[in-house]
Amino acid sequence: MRNRKTLIVLAVACLMLIIAVMPALSACGPQAQPGQVLKVGIITPTSGPAAEKGAPMGDANLDAIQYINDELGGVEGYKIEPLWFDSNYDTAKVATIVKNLMDQGALLFTTSSSKEMQAAMEIANRAEFPGLVCFNAPSLHRPPQHIYGQTPDYGDDWSAFATYYMKNIWKGSGKPKMALLVLNNPTGYGARDAARAAASGLGIEILWDGAEGKAFEHTTTTTSEIESLTRIKALDPDVLYISSTPAPTALIVKNASELGMFPGVTIGLGHASFTKAFVDLATPAVAEGVYGVFPTVNWGDDVPGMAKAVEYAQKLHSKDVGNLDYVTAWAQSLVVAEILKNAVKNAGYDALAKGDVTSWRAIETQGIQKLKDYEVGGLQGPISYDKGDNRLSKALRIFQVKSGAITPVTDWIEAPLVKYEDFDWFGK
Amino acid sequence: MTLPCGIRNYTYAEDMAIVRTGTHWVLLIGFLILLFTAPLYFNNYWLGVFNLIGITLIAAVGLNILVGYCGQLSIGHAGFIAVGAYTSAILTNRLEMPFLVGLIGAGLLSGLVGLLFGLPSVRVKGFYLAITTIAAQFIIIWVINHWGLTGGGNLITAPYPSIFGLEFRAESSQFYLIIGIAVLGVFFAKNLTRTKVGRAFIAIRDNDLAAEVMGVNLLYYKLLAFFIGCFFAGIAGALYAHWLGSLNAEQFSFTESILYVGMIIIGGLGTNIGPIFGVVFIRVLQQVLTIQLVPFLEKSVTVLPSGFATGITPMLFGLVIVLFLILEPRGLAHRWSLFKASYRLWPFSY
Repeated sequence: MRNRKTLIVLAVACLMLIIAVMPALSACGPQAQPGQVLKVGIITPTSGPAAEKGAPMGDANLDAIQYINDELGGVEGYKIEPLWFDSNYDTAKVATIVKNLMDQGALLFTTSSSKEMQAAMEIANRAEFPGLVCFNAPSLHRPPQHIYGQTPDYGDDWSAFATYYMKNIWKGSGKPKMALLVLNNPTGYGARDAARAAASGLGIEILWDGAEGKAFEHTTTTTSEIESLTRIKALDPDVLYISSTPAPTALIVKNASELGMFPGVTIGLGHASFTKAFVDLATPAVAEGVYGVFPTVNWGDDVPGMAKAVEYAQKLHSKDVGNLDYVTAWAQSLVVAEILKNAVKNAGYDALAKGDVTSWRAIETQGIQKLKDYEVGGLQGPISYDKGDNRLSKALRIFQVKSGAITPVTDWIEAPLVKYEDFDWFGK
Repeated sequence: MTLPCGIRNYTYAEDMAIVRTGTHWVLLIGFLILLFTAPLYFNNYWLGVFNLIGITLIAAVGLNILVGYCGQLSIGHAGFIAVGAYTSAILTNRLEMPFLVGLIGAGLLSGLVGLLFGLPSVRVKGFYLAITTIAAQFIIIWVINHWGLTGGGNLITAPYPSIFGLEFRAESSQFYLIIGIAVLGVFFAKNLTRTKVGRAFIAIRDNDLAAEVMGVNLLYYKLLAFFIGCFFAGIAGALYAHWLGSLNAEQFSFTESILYVGMIIIGGLGTNIGPIFGVVFIRVLQQVLTIQLVPFLEKSVTVLPSGFATGITPMLFGLVIVLFLILEPRGLAHRWSLFKASYRLWPFSY
């Protein structure tokens, strides 16, 4: 009898113990086994004509993944394995790199420039291989397929700047006259398309280069824009908007200064132009007063995610300290980690293990499309997926070069969705 | 062609045959079997590289006919490839025509644009002609960037190639399409150079005045060379458009045009096998440096400063080409000829 009582007590005790440790056991979940990693493709133009942006971005992408793996223990216990490639800003190379990434079982891939993603997007869309682009153009995600924007696009830059200009800078009567001097690729054409779609609604007159819809253009390798600026100057603009990369932008601003246009005309820059490299190349004295749009906070701002970015830049890539492109790409890797976290939680590692189209679908439906109000450590606008809109972040800030430093002049501005595909002039 | 010791030709047909001995046949069939079973051994990435090589080869064969055989220097070949790419994309995407119409249309339109820019070749040659072809490069890209039909700088997409309901979606099926056309292109070029036309091209290249005195119609043959060379470029462009799926004018840069000239020089100007060697050499070198060497150096050789590997790659690429031109100015085709000669004469050295 006594033995029976002892047995009952022991059984109840065991049962209580099991009930007590059950939540802890279930919280542990499946453990990562050796060799179980989450592969992510990273393409950056670390060399070539866009290296002034691509090099710090490649550094930041890899530094952030090192931080996630070393200090955060990876994603849900699984290490991220970066498959990094330098595209040399060459589209033929990008095409083979993307195929290589798909073969190696990457779960998604990132690019640092719209040109790279433009070369990769159709291959990726056909295979349903999800891509995340850092510097984003409307043509990459309109209509939405499998490419997502980490940040708003170049068209959103124009809309944000134009809205700010009309509210805060323009004091004249009638419509201000705006000239666009843009790069002859998606970086420039994104801004051109936005101006074409929305300028009249904002009360701005665009000074086209002849026919409507034709902006003044330049190339990445331009050595002088005196000729185009002289033609623009003859049209008497109130504002000059440049959507380009830092080196040509610096040249244009210098040329505008030499022609006596600036200061005088307000200059606004899209986010691919506006970074420390621009200020350094143009010299702080010439760049003083230039406005710019950027999708992240400023270097060193007091936000939770900044400390680690600064620490890793100082520790591993001191040349990148102060560079906003480093912050953008660091944030990109954090967004990738969040996508992977969602996917592992919602679909499980086994669904991702193959690295094939079923895994890519899981990443898209259970990872990317489950993103909701992810703060990215405050480094950029919050990340959410909204159906029909592949821009994961819609928020931008306006900055100005003041005393040689890039200084924010607004809080986050939300850029509305523009359905470019509804316009018959938008590319098919 | 030099024949192995003891082999003689007894008929004109035998003398004119491309494949002349049993060994040649065995080697050729063996090579074609290896080539067309490549999808069994290689993954999608390498098949993608082969597809890029095949497309580049078609364009390079055309350029070799124009520059290597007819002596008409062209530094705007990427522009003509762009004409083909956009023509096929517009015909198949916007006008919803079949792929074959897009492919042939691309070749024809590129050929016609080539004719247009080849007209100055009647009056100018050498570097002066090169300048006019550079102008073609920039004019074509400008038109693509500013014409509504070509997207006006926006993205234009091209669907998967499809012939009589058979859609080439997989990399392996595209491989058969692209490599099949490349093999036909090489075979056509090989035959062309043995015809009256080919001999007229060579006569013009070697001395156009003498050729004219002999009765070669310079205007006709120079323009024909431009048409054929640019037709090949157009076909390559069309295949590139459907392989890549999306087009932007930046993909057809002046640098690409120079690279094409580099390929046929490295391979061996005015030889049939030269473009094959040149294209394979350059494209594989690019892949080895980009895909293999740089990530390896950045990951494994930690003593190197950050960015060193990426910085050194373009220099390495340039250095290899420069060394090549210094050590083997007559191209890989010449080295191949020396190898064949030594093989044929072995064990004797004469």
